[in-house]
Amino acid sequence: MLSKLTTSAQTRQWPGHIPVEYVYTAGIAGEAFLRALKDRGMLLTSQCPQCQTVYLPARLYCEQCFEETKQYEEIAPKGWVHTYTVAHVDIDGEALAVPQIYAFIRFGGTNGGLIHRLGQTQPHQVSIGMEVEALLLPGKERTGSINDITCFQPTK
Amino acid sequence: MAKVAVVGAGMTRFVRRAQETGRELSWQAAKMALDAAGLRLKDVDAVVIGSAPDAFDGVHMKGEYLADGSGGWCKPTLRCYVGGGTGVFAPIQAWYHIASGRFDTVLVVCEEKMSSCHPHPQGAFLTIFDHTTERALGPNLLWIFALEMNRYMTVHGITKREIAEVAVKNKRNALDHPCAQLGANLTVDDVLASEELAWPVNRLDVSPASDGAAAVVMCSEHVAKRTSPQPVWLEGVGWHLDTAYWTNRDLYYPQYLEYAARMAYDMAGIKEPRKEIHIVEPYDPFDYKELHHLEGLLLCKRGEAARLTVDGVTQRDGDLPVCPSGGLLGVGNPIAAAGLMKVCELFWQLRGEAGKRQVPGMPRRGLAQAWGDLMQVGTVVIMGI
Repeated sequence: MLSKLTTSAQTRQWPGHIPVEYVYTAGIAGEAFLRALKDRGMLLTSQCPQCQTVYLPARLYCEQCFEETKQYEEIAPKGWVHTYTVAHVDIDGEALAVPQIYAFIRFGGTNGGLIHRLGQTQPHQVSIGMEVEALLLPGKERTGSINDITCFQPTK
Repeated sequence: MAKVAVVGAGMTRFVRRAQETGRELSWQAAKMALDAAGLRLKDVDAVVIGSAPDAFDGVHMKGEYLADGSGGWCKPTLRCYVGGGTGVFAPIQAWYHIASGRFDTVLVVCEEKMSSCHPHPQGAFLTIFDHTTERALGPNLLWIFALEMNRYMTVHGITKREIAEVAVKNKRNALDHPCAQLGANLTVDDVLASEELAWPVNRLDVSPASDGAAAVVMCSEHVAKRTSPQPVWLEGVGWHLDTAYWTNRDLYYPQYLEYAARMAYDMAGIKEPRKEIHIVEPYDPFDYKELHHLEGLLLCKRGEAARLTVDGVTQRDGDLPVCPSGGLLGVGNPIAAAGLMKVCELFWQLRGEAGKRQVPGMPRRGLAQAWGDLMQVGTVVIMGI
């Protein structure tokens, strides 16, 4: 039947939306991770006492062994590019004025990593394996968010 | 049919706002259930996750989100969902995982974090109504229950005072539950004097919004006999729908539940439920629903459940203990977790491990039930030792 409708005015329609809003918590381990980032500019890891996996960001439990990951340790936010992409259009399909580089960054001695922006560089200068470090907001401007890291940049 | 047992149970505290993420809550409950069973994650063959609408936690594809905290890492994992009925539906999924012979040990984890939905999880329900005939009226969830409660009261000549006895009983029972959110010593007058939300429903007739998780470990017969000193067997399972149009149901009687109950009784070989069931954990998000569900479960005649309650029959030391846990009204209502909490309660009660909540007389068989979807699904498990 719809195939015979040539304009939406031919059928009764009305707009609607699903009106829900959320307040999220970071959780037990996530809260500690965000505090380390905000207060000290460090990345918090946690280690499984059984299989020795080091989670970054820190987690409350080991998903493999189901043990509580009690040993927490902070590391400097310096790592390397595991893989990356260069976004040229935004979510609406509009061309970005400046292409944005997004990278999966790994850190020594840990499992996991972070997805974040790459900055202070150009797409043609980026390569897999290049060393990067976090560019942090000044301490007073940090809110306890992953965006306290402005971006990762090539290690100086 | 292959026998299936519950061999461990665990749950978090039920609270209004948990700092823990849904994953962390799931892990806490699942870890407790595994520890109770004396098993490790590596002993688990498959995982069943139960969680109600994604809109509560505010995470789309919540089953995937919860999988690692539920033990699903590198395992066959399924998330099931029948709204409020999910908590009793999830162990039924695990039952046929095991009864089929394909898996020996299945971890069942149910979670809800309703506090994420702001300012109140009621908002997630605004879009469950038919967008053509109902949403234009601006309905909220309480309307359904208020219309149903009124119909139930009027058909049977039951009073709000009689129904309030359920809230008083369950909140008092919950004082003995270490995980309870709303245990309280109240009077019927307190319930009747509480804020009127949508007549005939007052504030204290309703369970709270909650965060929490619950878990059970289920096993095949040969694993249960090898690993557990006292398996609790799943003797019957049942689940059933009625029409999703509430205007095509009478509302005074939960037909969805009678169908589900008959299915479970048939499997368990139960001919006279009133005599053969020793503890009942019916779904009680509202006080009148406990009564409604006792009737749908064929545990009393239609319209008789209020009388049983007023006469004390459903007290923990009564002839038919109902919601000895404290139910959703007292322990709390993190939707899917609340249903599985009832299965946990039967596990502890039938093993004599319920502490201050223990029903006297060594009960040997219990029934847990949940209700949900668009208020037209019934889910039932019967457990025994």
